[in-house]
Amino acid sequence: MTLIAPTEGWFKKKVSKDERMWIIISFVVCIFLFAWMVLWHVFGRQNPSNTTYKTNPIEFAQLHDEYVKRNMVGMDNGIPIVKPETGSDVILMAQMWRWSPVLILKKDEWYNIHISSKDLVHGFSLQPSNMNFQVYPDYDYVLKFKPTVAGEAKVLCNEFCGIGHHTMIGKILVIENDADLAKYGYNNLSAPPARTGKGTAEEDISGWSEEQLIKGGEMVYNLKGCMACHKTDGTSEIGPAFNSIYGSKVKVKEDGNAKEIVIDDDYITTSIREPQKQIVVGFEKTPMAQMNLTDNEIKQVISYIKSIK
Amino acid sequence: MFRICDITGFKVDLQSEKFIRLNAVMAVVSLLLAITAAILLVFTRYQPVHLLDAEWYYRLTTFHGLNALIYWIVFFEIAGLYFGSTVVLNQKFCSPTLGWVTFLLMVGGMVLSNVMVLMGKADVMLTSYVPLKAHPLYYLGIILFAVGALIGVGLFFANIVNAKRDGNVGETLPLFTYGLMTAAILAVITLASGAIIYIPTFLWSLGLIDSVDPAVYKLIWWGLGHSSQQINVAAMVSIWYLVTFLALGGTSINERVSRTAFFLYILFISLASAHHLLTDPATSSAWKVWNTSYAMYLAVLASMIHAFAVPSSIESAQRRWGFNKGLFEWLSKAPWSNPAFAACVLACIGFGFIGGTTGVIFGMEQTNIIVHNTIAIPGHFKGTVVIGTTLTFMGITYYLIPLIFRRKIVAFKLAQLQPWMFFFGVAILSVSMIALGQLGVPHRHWDSTFSGGPFTHEFNPSVDFFWTLMMLGGTLAFLAALIWVLQVVVSVFFGPKVNGPEDMQLPLSPMAPAAKEHKGYEAPGTLILTLLFLATFAVLFFVNWKWLAATWWVK
Repeated sequence: MTLIAPTEGWFKKKVSKDERMWIIISFVVCIFLFAWMVLWHVFGRQNPSNTTYKTNPIEFAQLHDEYVKRNMVGMDNGIPIVKPETGSDVILMAQMWRWSPVLILKKDEWYNIHISSKDLVHGFSLQPSNMNFQVYPDYDYVLKFKPTVAGEAKVLCNEFCGIGHHTMIGKILVIENDADLAKYGYNNLSAPPARTGKGTAEEDISGWSEEQLIKGGEMVYNLKGCMACHKTDGTSEIGPAFNSIYGSKVKVKEDGNAKEIVIDDDYITTSIREPQKQIVVGFEKTPMAQMNLTDNEIKQVISYIKSIK
Repeated sequence: MFRICDITGFKVDLQSEKFIRLNAVMAVVSLLLAITAAILLVFTRYQPVHLLDAEWYYRLTTFHGLNALIYWIVFFEIAGLYFGSTVVLNQKFCSPTLGWVTFLLMVGGMVLSNVMVLMGKADVMLTSYVPLKAHPLYYLGIILFAVGALIGVGLFFANIVNAKRDGNVGETLPLFTYGLMTAAILAVITLASGAIIYIPTFLWSLGLIDSVDPAVYKLIWWGLGHSSQQINVAAMVSIWYLVTFLALGGTSINERVSRTAFFLYILFISLASAHHLLTDPATSSAWKVWNTSYAMYLAVLASMIHAFAVPSSIESAQRRWGFNKGLFEWLSKAPWSNPAFAACVLACIGFGFIGGTTGVIFGMEQTNIIVHNTIAIPGHFKGTVVIGTTLTFMGITYYLIPLIFRRKIVAFKLAQLQPWMFFFGVAILSVSMIALGQLGVPHRHWDSTFSGGPFTHEFNPSVDFFWTLMMLGGTLAFLAALIWVLQVVVSVFFGPKVNGPEDMQLPLSPMAPAAKEHKGYEAPGTLILTLLFLATFAVLFFVNWKWLAATWWVK
């Protein structure tokens, strides 16, 4: 009984016909469901991949930067565009708050897409097809995709990753042939803004002209995703806009105290190296992530910021 | 010190009664916090209103999850465990001192973590996936709460052992306490997982260790997050059996079957952490398939067994009371005006048809691809822990108020309406969230117009309809929950005292007459209903796999 001990002989009581029927049906359903999942691996076309590599945010960001530098064919809203070879290994990096690069894929061709995060846990959500995978830092998840529908797909982030989470949206364009590119506004993909030097972070840039430095800085700005927060059109939703900011006076908070500083080489260097140290007043709620830039890259970024009016 | 209940005849230990009351009060407080946040969240995601700013939206999402899924549920369960191990067994509470330690740790932990969240020091969602970092005191609050709850579970076991020693348990435990024992065993596994993951995370937030692996974190965190919902299932099913007994004098038509089903939960249900890692890197398909199916669905089998055993206990009792006409007279003549009974039956229906079906389908390795991290997942939670567990706990409270708090229920007519209101509100909320999720709408997302992003995305236009539906369902559910909270508070603090059986507004049924010898079908109506459930499941199953088959190929 529910509140008192069961009646005599409860353990030996025969299971009634209908209950026995139901248990047998249920058991068959359970085995069917289990077998279905196994068989879908044989006959089905959608199975989560089993390929994972261990990585770390710095290594994966380097892979991403080098991959994009080598392969970019243009820019779309501040995000580099890559048109990978069919069947090739593709890098797709999640970071606060963008997916990079934008991909142009061919319908009905396979691609090995390596997905990982540069900072927090993110969620890869391919729409409108509606396929969703988890993205971690430290793990490179290799998903072998074959797009079956042509058109513009978006990649949303569906795991919370900070205050700008809702702005994190990327793009994958699926085309049947190159003529389709025009339909999606990609007809005159311009050459990348700069392909200065060998494209490695450590290369010697001491002999570069100011113009080379600016182009290099724009490349760093695009690759590192600065654009996700620092626009160049004067809008400052998440972080201060970069245009005409160099040389201006701003109020910052250091250890809780507000003070006025001039934005110069030193300030930019500090705010990249130690983003939490001096935060511009008004942006305390959207602190910047650690970006891990080299001295070379910082020098180029400074030149770039100086140049945008 | 005992009092003899003049209504039920049970010996009630006054110490135990005090702790049951205290924990129940904290449960109600937690629920009030949870639903207050919930209504604000509904009106934020409903884009025409878009109430909160991004910061407060994420803050209250964290707050809502914490209070709804942890504090409301666990406080109520601790009250339930005390009830099941003392009052039901006519047993004394083993250690009032530890009862206080438990209570104070839990309340302290709850207050600490909630304060950290509201101060904006822990905008990390309930799951707090590393490397997202909260203030150390946030983790400490949860650890204190969990330690408190673990001691409370220990007190449950100690009471049972004492009852056995004192001869208050016969051959075996009553079914209700047996079910609670299942819940308590699962609670130990769950809270241990919580400790294993929250302690290193706490140390990491203090800077004492360098990092916590994000995949390991998620695996073990869900050992807490998912398994804690299985405690709810065991507790909820136990209450369903209890209410059948109180309202109709019925019990499981075969206790061996029901008890075996509870035992299957203990063996297999803790594998369910895998449900949250199906589309993650790091684990293999073999691991995923085996674990997500609880070892070939043996825990699902347990729930399917209860899905028959609970309604058949009602049917069998009703037939023995003479409602024997046709297949369904037992159902149409059921005591629907008894709010505890209505709540439990509605919870059972909602849990099965919404929570159960979506749970199994979303928890399969491949179909998870089309729902993972979408709003369909919290939609599924509404179909399990809200329409199931919460509604059940609300229902049993209508018995607790007169029997434990010794007060009459104020505005009883409203109480008879409330379970229906809550059921329909949550059902609409849940189904619309599931529909939105299947159209790709993410969970935990402040702005589905992606303002400020480099691109934008237009969802299928039908989302507008489901957003409106979600808002309406959410509002109805909120109002119903608010009515319940107010009614409980007013009754407990200001209601007229209960002086004897004549003041019972809810019937307490005597034992149903013994069954005549019969061969074959004992609950044919139930069999039809469960087959109907299976048919619904089959339709949803094939629709979902059809949708999956239409997506890109991936391997």
